[in-house]
Amino acid sequence: MQIQVVTFSEPKDGNTPDEWQDGASGGVAGDATGTARFIVVDGATGSFDPVRWVDQLVTSFVPPPGAQRGADHAGPRPPGLEPAAMRDWFAQMQDQWAADVPAFDSIIEERKFREVGSFATFLGFEITGLDGPDPRWRAVALGDTVLFHVRAGHLITTFPPMRPGDFGSRPAGLHTLRSSLDEMTKRLLAGDGVLADGDFLFAATDAMADWILRAAGRDEAKVWETLAGLVHPDVFARLVSDQRKEQDAAKRMKNDDVTLMRLRLLADQPSFVLACR
Amino acid sequence: MYERDISRRDPGCVVFLLDRSDSMKQTWGNSRETMAEGAARALNETLLELLFTSQGEPGKARHYFDVGIFGYGLRPVAGGEGVEPAFGGKLAGQPLVALPDLRDNPIAVRETPSVDVGAPPSRVPVWVEPVYGHRTPMCQAVAVAGAHVYEWANAHPDSFPPIIINITDGMVTDSPYEGAGLDEWAQRLVNIQTSDGPALLFNIFLTPAGSANPVMFPATDRGLPTPGPDLFRISSLLPPPMVANAHSTGIPVEPGARGFGFNADAFNLVRFLEVGTKVDVRD
Repeated sequence: MQIQVVTFSEPKDGNTPDEWQDGASGGVAGDATGTARFIVVDGATGSFDPVRWVDQLVTSFVPPPGAQRGADHAGPRPPGLEPAAMRDWFAQMQDQWAADVPAFDSIIEERKFREVGSFATFLGFEITGLDGPDPRWRAVALGDTVLFHVRAGHLITTFPPMRPGDFGSRPAGLHTLRSSLDEMTKRLLAGDGVLADGDFLFAATDAMADWILRAAGRDEAKVWETLAGLVHPDVFARLVSDQRKEQDAAKRMKNDDVTLMRLRLLADQPSFVLACR
Repeated sequence: MYERDISRRDPGCVVFLLDRSDSMKQTWGNSRETMAEGAARALNETLLELLFTSQGEPGKARHYFDVGIFGYGLRPVAGGEGVEPAFGGKLAGQPLVALPDLRDNPIAVRETPSVDVGAPPSRVPVWVEPVYGHRTPMCQAVAVAGAHVYEWANAHPDSFPPIIINITDGMVTDSPYEGAGLDEWAQRLVNIQTSDGPALLFNIFLTPAGSANPVMFPATDRGLPTPGPDLFRISSLLPPPMVANAHSTGIPVEPGARGFGFNADAFNLVRFLEVGTKVDVRD
């Protein structure tokens, strides 16, 4: 089985691209296990340097290509998705954050680093069995970054099980403060599903996920067709821009950083490869 | 109404009216500080919280809010009784200050003992100092602040509406002021609006009595002694974002709850300010 992956992103309207505070990464492991791993995170605007926290989470959960990890190499092995392994990873991420103390230019900055810290919602998932007859996805999540499993134009699973209106301003997430470790462990959700040829997985941060759920409630076939047919970042940017300007508040996309990762499962090699920066 | 997020393009406005009358010299409940000291400390903490929100990238503060503090009673700069901006140091005399300017200009950074045993002292920035004297010209405070709020709302027509929080321990002593009573001045203030709704006026009444029962965000003035009903009447209904803040702070609120606190101690003042000033930021 092949996976065709593309990730689209847009910063908030009014922000520059370097102020995008989401993060996304993933790919097939180079260890011939038939496993692929992905992460999508959404850094909180009000937290301390969310770009740095997001980058730390992404590069730890999915080491960049070429990074030597594991017991015999320099860096720690990426975490398993079991609750105990995730708790260990949360603690490791917090330790790494706390150990790397930046230079502060004011007492406000210093106190925010120590007392408020940083925060991001988190969706991590793996696809296993790509070389076998029963490929599956398995996911863990804290917060409102959402995985949609779509087959033949119909939504099979929403993970976490969100509904329109569930997207508030205080979601669960990954926090840098050690005092939140127990709460993060308690609120961690897990889910899984069986994949088939032609299935889509869409991973979306909150504004996009909320829009998808509301749009699917009106015309499910149309929204999946639209998202499956995105072929270029400019097309995605236009879609986001148009939906942010929608006059009907019930249809409007909230002005927030948006990220959409699209995975398509294919039994055969894709007929073409689209490469976007 | 009250749905807009705060952003750099559409920043918010928070104005505090701080009673600096002579009665604020009284010791606050069972604490060792006066009400003037406690109120100043709570305000400095609230300003720090607002600055935390604006401090995203290292080395930068985002202009999410314009903040004003108007003291009424003693005027430490001009002298005598009246109303004047309460910021000290380089910000003295400024009616509204953008958060980045606030960040860069505390009067001082002081060390206070940490609440955690063995932890180093906490370093606390200070923007407003405790002072007290004279009577309680609350009407004039609303009038003076209202003029600045009006200008601000005209300049930010699509922002979350201005939030005005009045911290007092006393009875108004200048009503009527320029022909209008406190009710009329308060009504003029909440007539100021943006496209997201009318300005919000919240009031919190402090009491020096340590045993008084505090009332937070009531839906009725029933049973409240003077001046509770008067302040309740001029307090805005608590909008949904602040209702959510109250719930997340562990304060139960009923439908029809108003932005009003009565017989507040230091703990409740901090919680009141937290509920009244927290608005989502987006960019």
